Amino acid sequence: MKLISNICSSLSPEFSGDSKHREGQLSIDGSVRFQLLGLIKSAIFWLVVSILFGLIASIKLHSPGFLGHCEWLTYGKVEPVFWNSLIYGWLFNAGLACSFWLLVRLGGAPAGNGFLLTVSLSIWNVALIVGLLGILMGGMLPITWRDSFTVSGQLPYEWLEMPAFIVPVLLAAFLGMGLWGVLAFRERVHRVVYASQWYILAALFAFAWIYTVVQVMLMSQPAQGTLQYLIGSWYANNLLMVVIVPFALAVVYYMLPKVLGKPIVGYNHSGKAFWSWILFASSAGSAELLYGPVPSWVSSVGIIAAFGILYPLSIFSIQFLSTLFASFSRIWETISLRFIFFGCIGFLLFGCYFIYGSLRVTQDVVQFSSFNNGVQLLGLLGFATMVFSGCLYFILSRLLNKELPSAGLAELHFWMQLLGVFLVVSSLITGGMQEGELMNGSVTGVLSIVANMKSYYAMATLGMGLILVGAIGFMISFSMLLLSERSGKETTVNLIEESPDLEVSAT
Amino acid sequence: MNRGPFIFIGVFIVLAFSWANLVHKPVQESGQLAAYFSDSERMPRLLPGEAEQGRQVYQQMGCVSCHTQQSRLESGFDIQRGWGSRQSVARDYIDQSPSLIGDRRLGPDLSNAAAGDRDREWHHLHFYNPQITSKGSNMPSYSFLYDKTAVMGQKSDRALNLPEEFAVESGYQIVPSRRAEALVAYMLSLQVDYDLPEAPNPEKIGL
Ligand code: HEC
Repeated sequence: MKLISNICSSLSPEFSGDSKHREGQLSIDGSVRFQLLGLIKSAIFWLVVSILFGLIASIKLHSPGFLGHCEWLTYGKVEPVFWNSLIYGWLFNAGLACSFWLLVRLGGAPAGNGFLLTVSLSIWNVALIVGLLGILMGGMLPITWRDSFTVSGQLPYEWLEMPAFIVPVLLAAFLGMGLWGVLAFRERVHRVVYASQWYILAALFAFAWIYTVVQVMLMSQPAQGTLQYLIGSWYANNLLMVVIVPFALAVVYYMLPKVLGKPIVGYNHSGKAFWSWILFASSAGSAELLYGPVPSWVSSVGIIAAFGILYPLSIFSIQFLSTLFASFSRIWETISLRFIFFGCIGFLLFGCYFIYGSLRVTQDVVQFSSFNNGVQLLGLLGFATMVFSGCLYFILSRLLNKELPSAGLAELHFWMQLLGVFLVVSSLITGGMQEGELMNGSVTGVLSIVANMKSYYAMATLGMGLILVGAIGFMISFSMLLLSERSGKETTVNLIEESPDLEVSAT
Repeated sequence: MNRGPFIFIGVFIVLAFSWANLVHKPVQESGQLAAYFSDSERMPRLLPGEAEQGRQVYQQMGCVSCHTQQSRLESGFDIQRGWGSRQSVARDYIDQSPSLIGDRRLGPDLSNAAAGDRDREWHHLHFYNPQITSKGSNMPSYSFLYDKTAVMGQKSDRALNLPEEFAVESGYQIVPSRRAEALVAYMLSLQVDYDLPEAPNPEKIGL
């Protein structure tokens, strides 16, 4: 009974005290509290699920007998479930939760249409469960059932492994969420549009665009042979570069000035960075197509576009690093900022590795090795996951008007995630270079390459294990925050001191 | 940049540009390839029925996580490793949907898996437990595609001949399921042993 009343108090708190500013914010937060908690709860659930699958997949690479007798846990199924639950489960739910909160906070008005968001986020998450089960159970359904699906089981395209029948459902659910975001944006009272909002709108629109292309050109009327491979790789690159990265950039642009109490250094260059990022990043990254049976100019365009990324990347690095280093000592004060600081470092490294990995000479060595996955994970874990985690701590305490239940737990999450991501990414990248050298640069037998890679796989397993510990810590923090009794202090509106809305005056 | 529509239109144009260039144009240019006939033989060859089912098993088991099906001439040692005799070209794949080309090689390329001296028995032993044929491999065992049955009178002629250390209790045998048979049929059909006019090979480019 007590727990239930605590949850009720989390969902619809009553406050006392007076502070005009904070009251306005609380009414804005109140308009989205239920939906955002839904997104955050799903996000954290999927984070734990995906890292668990990542851990299993990683163990299987050095101990192939592990869980070897379960058909549904064979490597070829566990690995795509890891990527798909990481992306569509954790990163989408968390990214949308952060983005929607930023949209209403920056807009300065409570949002309506709660029902639309509730329904579409529920459909999204249920469809995701069905889609992932579709991967795991592919080939295990009774024959009569199997024929009723267009394609039974998983698809062989990167980050699109969920069965084809689930794609329209996910697309519809996303359109619902995206529409909610656009409506919330339109209802804003602050007319000035801040950089975070550009990135959010761009990402919402970009995903609707590229996922529609997938539905039409890969699922309904699949293009011929190798072109499917090309479309899949175009999609995966755009998903990473113009959907997930922009969601995370939006968070960085908001959080740095908010927490530090100072505007972004060189903010007036943000427009150039935004447009050049979208322009170059959306065409870059066809490196894995090199030398393959697709028109060779496609990968040449990708290489040129990858060089273009240098321009926005330099602007980002100057903006973020100058802003952070100007108040360096404050990074340790708040847990949120610590996540975001390392996220920014992760992003800059990701950008550099991405450009380096697009070069022909690099692909001559690393093509088809774990290098490319390592770079992708640097973006997905080292950047987006770090940044979203930090932002979620920030949002949660404001949304619920409660203090973090245990600083130690958040601390544990931070350190485990940081070390884990470092281990996973560096083992895949350096291991991939060695693997690629042997695979592409010599005729060494595959079995001795496998033996050579064992220690890297073990390192990745250790890393995944650490991230999992951190994620579980995150889950416990979240549950405690939601379930704990509201203390007297936490009913006052002045619990959280907000810095001024710098972003409104930033332009 | 204070207007939503401006951002939407801008992003739409940029993404449309990327799509038109990198997706639409290749599909227009080379999305309608037809098979090539030499001496009234169709190239590429169509898969026999059982192999086509095996292709589905290959897809469902996610073998693309570790195996590609494309051989490169200009980079790497694919030809020297015996993974192909020429560059793979788009026409080789016109019958394949969904495409199983893959971009990760933990194991060998399989576009010519049938080329060597591996026979049905080898593949079955390998799928049942890769350690039998390839000690130290990290390819998973697909033993769940095999049935362990009691021997009734005589051993089935499809039963695997397991070496001593992997043998099951006496009185039992390991028999491939339909899916395992289909998968092996697929492996034994993977061979690019025909030439196409547009496909570079070592002689054509003078290696
Ligand atoms: C975890 C990665 C992994 C997965 C998943 C995997 N393989 Fe392999 N495969 C390997 C490795 C490594 C080798 C090389 C060592 C060996 O022969 O086992 C190999 C070798 C092979 C070979 C022998 C090729 C040759 O020329 O020597 C065949 C055939 C094969 N795999 C087929 C498959 C099929 C079919 C599947 C899916 C049912 C599959 N593999 C799934 C890693 C994998």
